[in-house]
Amino acid sequence: MKVFKRLLLVLGAAGAVGMLARVRGKGGVPPTTGGWRELEGPDFR
Amino acid sequence: MSSKAPTFGEAALDTNGPVTTALVVGLGAVGTRAARQLVDTPGIDRLLLADRDEHLLAEIATAFGPDAQAVDFAPGDPIPADVDVVVTALPAGVDHPVVTAAIAAAVPVASSEEEHDALEQLRVLDPNARGAGIAVGIGCGLAPGLVDALARHAASMFEKVDEIRVARTGWAGPASVATVRYERRVPVRTWHDGSWREDHPHGDSLVWFPEPIGARDCRTVTGATALLVDAFPDVARIGVQLGEPPKRARLRRRFGDEGEWGAARVEVWGRRDGSFDCTVYGVVERTAVAAGAVLAVVAARLVGALEPRLDQPGVHGLGSLLDPVPFLAELAQRGVRAAAFEGVAVA
Repeated sequence: MKVFKRLLLVLGAAGAVGMLARVRGKGGVPPTTGGWRELEGPDFR
Repeated sequence: MSSKAPTFGEAALDTNGPVTTALVVGLGAVGTRAARQLVDTPGIDRLLLADRDEHLLAEIATAFGPDAQAVDFAPGDPIPADVDVVVTALPAGVDHPVVTAAIAAAVPVASSEEEHDALEQLRVLDPNARGAGIAVGIGCGLAPGLVDALARHAASMFEKVDEIRVARTGWAGPASVATVRYERRVPVRTWHDGSWREDHPHGDSLVWFPEPIGARDCRTVTGATALLVDAFPDVARIGVQLGEPPKRARLRRRFGDEGEWGAARVEVWGRRDGSFDCTVYGVVERTAVAAGAVLAVVAARLVGALEPRLDQPGVHGLGSLLDPVPFLAELAQRGVRAAAFEGVAVA
């Protein structure tokens, strides 16, 4: 029973670390200035 | 003259002249929407529909009215007589025999294929298509597809392009989800310093798409990198990234019948006016809707139902097949609109 509880604890901790890493991702810096402008004719630039 | 009300584009054909017939193979999320767009395209007079699900096929053919007709056609069959253009929206790897049959019948093809092995199998048909004198457009979707045209458009603003980065999040249907999962899992081939480099998949990185999609985790994949390399052989670095699909079916069901919202982003880095600069384009649309519209417009232009006609023989991605401005104009008319990021892009 003790081993089982320890196993659950280890698995839970691993899952929490995995979730944190997954949520945070890596790299990428948000564009802090600017925005999106729809392209319009005739040049669509 | 057809009784349907024209909706999109300018008809290039005299409707009293020969009947233009399109064969749409595969009526999944993308194929159905492409068929809908083609029904509403002046210059396409008749639509033949094929799918392995006979019940679905009959239902869609009835819904599309008198201009649409269900036919008994399966990959491997010869192309029916009087078909002027073939449109394929099939799971990865299935459309190769359809494209082969179309080339044998000298009928142009638009394919929504996006998986890299299957794209390679289609690319090797290039000499056959050139020999037959027909154009085959592959990777006709949101990304690949629309992003290739946007990359071409952005590249035209630079004296020299150094790098192209393409990213997409979103998927059209179950087959698209399967392809995205496969691409994210297998070893990656990237175009780096003018040559191919093989690597294992790295972790995800955040990519900023237009709102309301915003930031999503994306992973570098092989995908349709080869189509971009074909279109931009002199560009040193080209990369394609895909977002993560939902892990469980119960999550997918939450997105509803209209399908998953998707987004694509194109970054082109290079030199203009003596300095290093970047142009960023993005699109937000339901992935299947955007892919269906792209597929339909390419097919209509291959057959001359929309101008300018695409008649460059060979197998091409959209970055090398078409002039982006009229293409973007036609898509905008159909509700698929791209945007440019104005601000400080981050390298």
